[in-house]
Amino acid sequence: MYNSRRLALYHYWVAFAVFLPAVMLGVWQMLMRSPLPAPLDDPNAYYASVTLHGTAMAYVVTTFFAMGFGYAVTATSLGRPIRGATAAWIGFAICLTGTLMAVAAILSGKASVLYTFYPPLLGSGWYYSGATLLIGGSMIWVVLMIVNMAAWKRDNPGKPVPLAMFAITATAVLWAWSASGVELEMVGVVLPRVFGLTIQMDAGLARTLFSVTLHSIVYFWLMPAYIAFYTLVPQAAGGRLYSDTMGRLTFIMFLLFATPVGIHHLFADPEIGVGFKFIQSFLTFLVALPTLLTVFSICASLEIAGRHRGGKGLLGWIPALPWDEPMILAVGLSLVMLGFGGGGGLINMSYDMNSMIHNTSWIPAHFHLIFGGAIVIMYFAIAYEMWPRITGKPLHSKRLARWQLWLWFVGMFVTTIPWHITGLMGQPRRVAIFDYSDPLLAPMAPLVVLSVIGGLILLTSAILLITILIRSQLGDTVLQAPLRYALAVNPPVKVPNALNGFALWNAILLMFMVVEYGYPIAQFFFLKSSVPAYEVTRQTTALGVR
Amino acid sequence: MGRDQGAFKLDHPWPQIGWISFAVIIFVSSLLGFVVLSRYQQNDEPLDLWNAICRGLGISFDSAPSGSTQPPLRTPTTIAWTQATLDQIRAGNPQRGGFVAVNCAACHEGLAANPAHLIPTLDGMEAEVIFKQLADYRSGKRSWGVMNAIAKALSIQDSADVAAYFASRTGQLLPNTGERAPQGGRGFRQSDTGPRLAFAGDPQRGVAPCSACHGPGGYKIGAPTLSGQYPAYIERQLASFAQGIRQNDIYEQMRAIARQLTPGEMQSAAAFYGLQGRQLATKN
Repeated sequence: MYNSRRLALYHYWVAFAVFLPAVMLGVWQMLMRSPLPAPLDDPNAYYASVTLHGTAMAYVVTTFFAMGFGYAVTATSLGRPIRGATAAWIGFAICLTGTLMAVAAILSGKASVLYTFYPPLLGSGWYYSGATLLIGGSMIWVVLMIVNMAAWKRDNPGKPVPLAMFAITATAVLWAWSASGVELEMVGVVLPRVFGLTIQMDAGLARTLFSVTLHSIVYFWLMPAYIAFYTLVPQAAGGRLYSDTMGRLTFIMFLLFATPVGIHHLFADPEIGVGFKFIQSFLTFLVALPTLLTVFSICASLEIAGRHRGGKGLLGWIPALPWDEPMILAVGLSLVMLGFGGGGGLINMSYDMNSMIHNTSWIPAHFHLIFGGAIVIMYFAIAYEMWPRITGKPLHSKRLARWQLWLWFVGMFVTTIPWHITGLMGQPRRVAIFDYSDPLLAPMAPLVVLSVIGGLILLTSAILLITILIRSQLGDTVLQAPLRYALAVNPPVKVPNALNGFALWNAILLMFMVVEYGYPIAQFFFLKSSVPAYEVTRQTTALGVR
Repeated sequence: MGRDQGAFKLDHPWPQIGWISFAVIIFVSSLLGFVVLSRYQQNDEPLDLWNAICRGLGISFDSAPSGSTQPPLRTPTTIAWTQATLDQIRAGNPQRGGFVAVNCAACHEGLAANPAHLIPTLDGMEAEVIFKQLADYRSGKRSWGVMNAIAKALSIQDSADVAAYFASRTGQLLPNTGERAPQGGRGFRQSDTGPRLAFAGDPQRGVAPCSACHGPGGYKIGAPTLSGQYPAYIERQLASFAQGIRQNDIYEQMRAIARQLTPGEMQSAAAFYGLQGRQLATKN
């Protein structure tokens, strides 16, 4: 692990330390929305909580996790110390400062604008500055990933970059593209209003800029899971990766199709023309390519492992897999959730079908199932895989780890399937209070209660996760187990330049962005669609208003 | 990283694949998005190519003034809450209004002519409300029995005076103190329909809480205080709004709300306000 050990450990711990309270907030929010009595029965607290839960899960947990994972992957896959470790620590400090600023602002109740900011809602400047610092600080990580890959290529001319390193650099590049939207929104629209340089805010422009981030950030979250699919899962299964080239193509396609598709989050926005909405909807469907390629590739890799372990017949390789390994169990559960969540996603990204479920609880159901479920369960598996390498101590208990993964899987389904259904019944998202005595809402009540039970299962699982990680770290058996990545069936000897770097793909992506976003963003300089800001900085808590 | 890759050398296979895929994707999706799908509209003929492309870009083709004829504009009232109107009302002389009010007393005071309580009590009602209703009766924006004829006989100054007179009196109507009402029992989960509608409304149907404008707690100019009003009168007015018989509410606020209410809900809300006045009266 060279010098990445402490870096990875600190990053992971920030991520998981934020994760557990954020899960608790989520459960409380579900209680608040349910017919059951909730402690601190206050809608203002609900919106503060939604903001904190979203900010924590979407920005803090994921960014820190990806950064920690990136440092670990860089050192282990390249087999040498990270270059720029000092810069990495500076980035860590900046991100942590930003996180603390944002969290303090939300807790003070002066930034309940939800984690997607929603201009012309206007919260405390500390919140936006904190978020800008957190995202800006992670750009140091982006640069370090690129620098490390480039340096390795210089030192190893003609050799293929290891797939894990190639993939984490793709993640970094993707994040740079993705974050450009929110950073431009902050610096160009929100912060000037916060600091009094402008009087009004262009909500349409801000939303369009944020849409650049809004979908690609999801792929940024998802990339560590995919890296695990390609490089850790076949190894844990005791087999080999089916194809190294497929892996490279997958990560390249994610890079290409992650960013120029964000307008599918703006189907209901009046400023964007129908043509651009359709084009981006069309491009969104192309993400099926890397996804299906991955599902195929992983199943093939697992089949190789299963047959190698003695599985016979058409499906006999499945039971032959080492299901007691957390990584294998996680990938199985993850693919099931990916299937259901992906199916729901097809509805969301369709220009016409979206209107059925727009702004209903279907949406949080979808992204909780696919991100909170399929992706985060892989984060857990990665943590279990990494922990012995980082701490030098074995995992406390694989049995507990399996329990934890199963609980998360079950909890996520019990939570999100009812949300999908209530979404189809029309229950709006981001609403604190419902009157379930109303005949229109009464049929939703049992489903909502069911989802609260799911939330409690998830909370149990989250507590279990932290327990396992702490107990493993406090254990005293010392272990030396280097992290190994899966070899491909045909290990790459020489790969084309295009599959060994990102220059071509960045150029193509730039063209995509110019074509897809050039006009939709430029039009705001003529539309004059600025509106007065709506300040949410002076909300007081008002208990018992219902 | 890029220079050694020949990223832009189109004779290499991967740059070829990349750029050709890019061109095909953009071409196909643009063709579908701007030329094919943008043409079709829900209720009208398909657009021509130029207009379809404009629509695809978001240049609002369909936000231009519609060619079809618009229904004639109907204003609900001639009163606007301008400073001039408010000054007119403030100029009302309650003493002089007392003489004008002799015309009103027969019906609005006592129950001899009002056995069914379909005529509102006016003692303590805001001057702005009475002034506006008289103006609406005068201009025919509201119609009710003899009131149109009576209002026509009154000058604007008479209206202001009589409004000031009734506003200065105290009666069964709860005075508009501007105080916030106590918070208990004000929620969506209130099982009593009356207080629930009064304090929480029904957001699902776009029904604002009555109390946001009519008190207790919140008061908006031109909205009469209701606590202590005759329930039969309130219910009748809600029904009139719902059926469009009464149309002098600015922005159709009351018509929009009343149309959403069931007869039972109108009765409950009306009963709640009538009861509230009595409860508070006995307390005093």
